[in-house]
Amino acid sequence: MDKTIESSSSHPLSPPVGGTRTPIRLSRKVSTGLWIFLFLLPFLLLFGAFTLWPLIATVVFSFFDWNGIDALSAQNFVGLGNYLELLHDPLFWQSFWNTLLFSVANTAIKLPLSLFLAIILTRKWLWFKRFFRTIFFVPIILPIALVGQIFTFLLNPSNGALNGFLLGIGLLKQPIDLLGNESTALWAVILISVWQIFGQYMLYWMAALQNVPEELYECAQIDRVNPWQQFLYITLPMIAPMAVVITLLGLVNALHVFGVVVTLTSGGPGTSSYVLSYYIYQAAFQNLPFRYGYASATAVLFVVLAAIFVIIQWRLGRDNTASTRQIGGGHA
Amino acid sequence: MSILQRWRRSRFVRYNLILVTLLLVAGFVWVYPFLWAISGSFKTQIGLFTSGASLIPKQFDFSNFQRAWITAGFSQYFFNTLLYSSASTAVELLKSALCGYVLARYRFPGRNLLYSLIVGTLFIPLASIILPQFLVVESLGLLNTQAGVILAFSGAAGALYVLLFANFFKGIPEELFDAAKVDGAGFVRLFRLVFPLARPVIATVVIFNFIATWNDFNIPLIYTLSAPNLRNLAVGMFAFQGENSFDWTGFAAGTVISFVPVLIIFLLFQGYFVRGLSGAVKE
Repeated sequence: MDKTIESSSSHPLSPPVGGTRTPIRLSRKVSTGLWIFLFLLPFLLLFGAFTLWPLIATVVFSFFDWNGIDALSAQNFVGLGNYLELLHDPLFWQSFWNTLLFSVANTAIKLPLSLFLAIILTRKWLWFKRFFRTIFFVPIILPIALVGQIFTFLLNPSNGALNGFLLGIGLLKQPIDLLGNESTALWAVILISVWQIFGQYMLYWMAALQNVPEELYECAQIDRVNPWQQFLYITLPMIAPMAVVITLLGLVNALHVFGVVVTLTSGGPGTSSYVLSYYIYQAAFQNLPFRYGYASATAVLFVVLAAIFVIIQWRLGRDNTASTRQIGGGHA
Repeated sequence: MSILQRWRRSRFVRYNLILVTLLLVAGFVWVYPFLWAISGSFKTQIGLFTSGASLIPKQFDFSNFQRAWITAGFSQYFFNTLLYSSASTAVELLKSALCGYVLARYRFPGRNLLYSLIVGTLFIPLASIILPQFLVVESLGLLNTQAGVILAFSGAAGALYVLLFANFFKGIPEELFDAAKVDGAGFVRLFRLVFPLARPVIATVVIFNFIATWNDFNIPLIYTLSAPNLRNLAVGMFAFQGENSFDWTGFAAGTVISFVPVLIIFLLFQGYFVRGLSGAVKE
């Protein structure tokens, strides 16, 4: 990154070499500056209005007892009150741990599985590649409302296809209600979410694998290196830097889980599958009276949690990358 | 050499036969819920509940589509969604390409700050700031208008796209710019010269943004609360659930209508997409 900036910085804003006509040089410099500004403007306006300001506003709101509708006034200022209340709410903590479990479990399942499939589906010699890629990608195009409906139906204990199948082959003696059971609901949501989001991560991995030269595998095959060793000593070291980014995206996207919970369980049964984003949504838009200040405080804590997560993961990723590089020796 | 090649080829045929069989089985299980939903859109109401796991309707009922398209107003929702997704994708493309280009090739005051802000907000749960965003659109007087929904969509995402473009434009060889400059190309001409080269990134942004906005539920729901005729398909489907005492097959038909365009976009751009990402996720 630094290299390119260095080389590009030698010309754009500095005057062209060998020019003698000062006025033109000057006007070109001014116009370059103007164009830079104009090119940045659309992004800056939207970014400011829809990301930066809302973030600051959320922090400010979190210190007020506010319903999101009336004007904010000094009377409603509660200082850290919302935060203290949050930390004493068992439901908040349950949502917190559920979110953490969801994020880690979801990522730990979807990433290795999608990497495995991406490796298979990028083999040059495989037949019907495009067909299979489309098949494993396709759940992601389903609207989340339908995903909820489909699985509510398929997992239904009375006439759903899953129970029918499991009973049919004798694996089950009694129908099970995966979504209606406190101990299984969250796990069912985790797995369905893996199914739904899988295609995106498969594409990420396929992109990462593009950077591994095919010749390395061909050499390895001639040397009769087994597939697992190929993966360990060729693939993994080559994709390690991108793996860090993909893992990060995977964890953070999983932290934001919302749609599958709403459409599958609405946080239930009881509160067994409550997650933070659902908790926020309930406080801000569902439970009367609306408590937007309280929801904002939750959002702020949520962002802090995400940040800690990202930093830990980033550190771990950096160390791992360094060590796999060493193992990978000359390849990396 | 030819012996080696033949040996290899016969081995690959064997690999293929095994793998393709395994993939077909796994793939079938994987798409089963998807196929089941599609077949549901052709079943009769009673047929759906009695046929269980079967994928082939005993009796085809095409009135589901008619009901979804005309009675439930999906035609209106469809065109709304098409407008929202296309317009916001166009805005996303323009703003992130312009910004990414400048970030990649020029130095200006505040450049590092902008970079840090963009990367920093990449990992923030944006769903949690939806009310302040709502207040912005409200203060512009755009609530319950199509422009309001498009604006909210165009504002909500974008940081990732900017980074994708910036990384791509950084990789373009300097010589290309020098040559164009010798020919007298100015600032805008240079950009117009390299923009078409970014096809892989453009494809990535189009696929991501199109799918995300096409299926988005939150933004259209909140921004069109008092204007049902402005709903998109996802919100329309949600309403459909409530209004027509659970018309499952009509619902499935509505979904088939809603994902066909996304599937087409994916199939069209798939090839570019992977290349676009591989250049971009790197750093």
